[in-house]
Amino acid sequence: MNLSYTEEQVMLREQIQKFCETEYDFYKREEVVKSEDDFDPNAWSLFAEQGWLSMPFSEESGGFGFGPVELSILFEEFGKSLVIEPYLSNVVLAGSVLDKSNFEGKVELIESICSGSMHISLAYAEAAHSYEYLKPDTNVSDSKLNGTKTLVLNGKNASKLIVSCVMNGELSLVLVDTTADGVSFNTFRTIDEKTCAEFTFENVSIQDSDIIASGDEAKNLLTETINLATLCISAEAVGCMVSCYNKTVQYTKEREQFDQPISNFQVLQHRMVDMFIDSELAKSLLFKAMLEVDADSEDKFKHVSALKAHVGKFGKLSAQNAVQLHGGMGVSEEMMIGHYLKKMVAIDAMFGNADFHLKSFSK
Amino acid sequence: MDINFSKEDLAFRDELREWLANDYPKHVKDKMDKGEHLTRQDMVDYHKALSAKGWMGYNWPVEYGGTGWSASQLYLFNKEFGMAGCPPLLAFGVSMVAPVIWTFGNEEQKKRFLPDILDFNTWWCQGYSEPGSGSDLASLKTKAVKEGDHYVVNGSKTWTTLAQNADWIFLLVRTDSSGKKQEGISFLLVDMKTPGIEVKPIITIDGDHEVNSVFFTDVKVPVENLVGEEGKGWTYAKFLLAHERFGIAAVGASMRALNQLKEVVAELNNSDLDKKVAEMEIAISALEMTELRLLSDLENGGHPGAESSILKIKGTEIQQGLTELFVEAAGEYALMYPGAGGYGSNDKPSGPEHAAVSLERFLNFRKTSIYGGSNEIQKNIISKFVLGV
Repeated sequence: MNLSYTEEQVMLREQIQKFCETEYDFYKREEVVKSEDDFDPNAWSLFAEQGWLSMPFSEESGGFGFGPVELSILFEEFGKSLVIEPYLSNVVLAGSVLDKSNFEGKVELIESICSGSMHISLAYAEAAHSYEYLKPDTNVSDSKLNGTKTLVLNGKNASKLIVSCVMNGELSLVLVDTTADGVSFNTFRTIDEKTCAEFTFENVSIQDSDIIASGDEAKNLLTETINLATLCISAEAVGCMVSCYNKTVQYTKEREQFDQPISNFQVLQHRMVDMFIDSELAKSLLFKAMLEVDADSEDKFKHVSALKAHVGKFGKLSAQNAVQLHGGMGVSEEMMIGHYLKKMVAIDAMFGNADFHLKSFSK
Repeated sequence: MDINFSKEDLAFRDELREWLANDYPKHVKDKMDKGEHLTRQDMVDYHKALSAKGWMGYNWPVEYGGTGWSASQLYLFNKEFGMAGCPPLLAFGVSMVAPVIWTFGNEEQKKRFLPDILDFNTWWCQGYSEPGSGSDLASLKTKAVKEGDHYVVNGSKTWTTLAQNADWIFLLVRTDSSGKKQEGISFLLVDMKTPGIEVKPIITIDGDHEVNSVFFTDVKVPVENLVGEEGKGWTYAKFLLAHERFGIAAVGASMRALNQLKEVVAELNNSDLDKKVAEMEIAISALEMTELRLLSDLENGGHPGAESSILKIKGTEIQQGLTELFVEAAGEYALMYPGAGGYGSNDKPSGPEHAAVSLERFLNFRKTSIYGGSNEIQKNIISKFVLGV
């Protein structure tokens, strides 16, 4: 048994940390939020150059073949700095579906993700089926796609979508060009300042060559991908929790009231200790979950659910405590700390909230 | 990263399981499985069975007759024995006073005391807390005055676990009150048969007699029973408490309790309770992984410090939380509890069997967040050493 990161993994973390600290501080993030694209094309090119966009893909697809441990490192660090670049939607969601599929054109598409030249999103969610992704209403009949997909992350930047739908009575994943006839969309902003879209498909023409997978294969691809994405955003939550307590400890040491730093007060100390403990427990559950996913074990879904349920509940609690201990600063839009709370709300809401995963865990 | 134990560790685990299946004294096992109390003799039998196997010194170095087990082996020992429902090993001799003796005691003391601890010929108890000194232990007042070749001890100790069974007590006493309160404390080993020692039971809210008050009136203790130097007792006391930390998470025992709880809850069709049980299971998994992370750190040459306070805090919260869920599962039958007064004209409770045991555990386990440095003290430790505030 050895639960240490390898040297390469430590280096990867340092590399990402360095980027976040020097090129993606909170002011930079604010600029990105206010920009037209809702992501930073320069940062995205840098991610491509560093190989971060190729990390999890198999070597046949032109990737590095890194696993959930490396992805978790990246997301943990992104979480600490609240990076809003569309990594999850492109690399984890769309990318993993393609990489693990038998789709003929997958290598080219993955190459375009790795180089950062094209954005692809996975359209998995529908308004009527919260957290139940395997029985969509969107369908293909007579080679025409009809239906509405919601919460499509980074939808407005995507040139292509992978749409989950029912075709010939079974779940299918089809590739759709966002400029095709019959495709329309509205964009929204998420609580954590990402961009997402609602897409409507009206008689969009689907060829056989657009079908990525059907039946059990489609089901597996979607289930595995959502599980991996759940692990990733949970790792992001762990990063947020670590930052919440670090920043709060820092702030209470500097903030003086009653002629002393407020960190002298035991009631605040114990609350910060609770934040520390919950973040350590979250890290422990992350270790367990990522190793189970890495080993492709039978229990991998269960352990990802355990992690997600924990960070859903205690991540929000940590962020709420961070806001409370920052006083009025905690609720100021221009301060970073309140944005962790928004991030934790977003993470809890995605791919099943704490209650949902508690139920999945005990099944 | 590799979460799997080595082949050697797994073979070791099999050896533990074999002992538990074949050599764990049956009369002890039966009582533990039924949630009945153990007598002094039961405890002696259990510990002597471990001595016979050579496992009594489970956390000792080989040079003093211990096993020299690695951190992984210690972890597996705690976990397997916990999961099998074994009584926790009495810590006072083997885990508390012994490391102090081999680290700070003289050769004569090592020869005199360590073998009897390994063979469980002496039952030790701990003379730390006093009526006026709980979490603020260094404020203790029990006094020892040197007169010729003896110390004369006067004062009292409290919450002394199983003092009624003990042959020896290790005592923190004040030998000097002129300086800071942490200075002037000394560490004495005292034979419980010495004239002037009186043990009085304290009955706890579960109705049990586990802890005691111990009174010392002009108790003569030979100077050769002083460990280390006079006035250095506080250093030894802190050393001892640090030694107590491992295994305190009680992961194995909590896993066993969880499995029993699941069986009880499965019959209730109560989705609220199901949810709480799921949360508990996740908490136990998080605790186990936290312990394994610290273990891995230790085995890679690290020195996990105050982080191990997490194990105390969370381990005890989980132990208590489990007992609370058992009480919830008992429903209306949580009303019925004999306590110190007995069941009345019924010699047995009505209602499910688990109900009475649940209440006893619920009441008894309140102690876990109080002893071994209360959980609030643990949070102070984390504040100081991890958060740096």
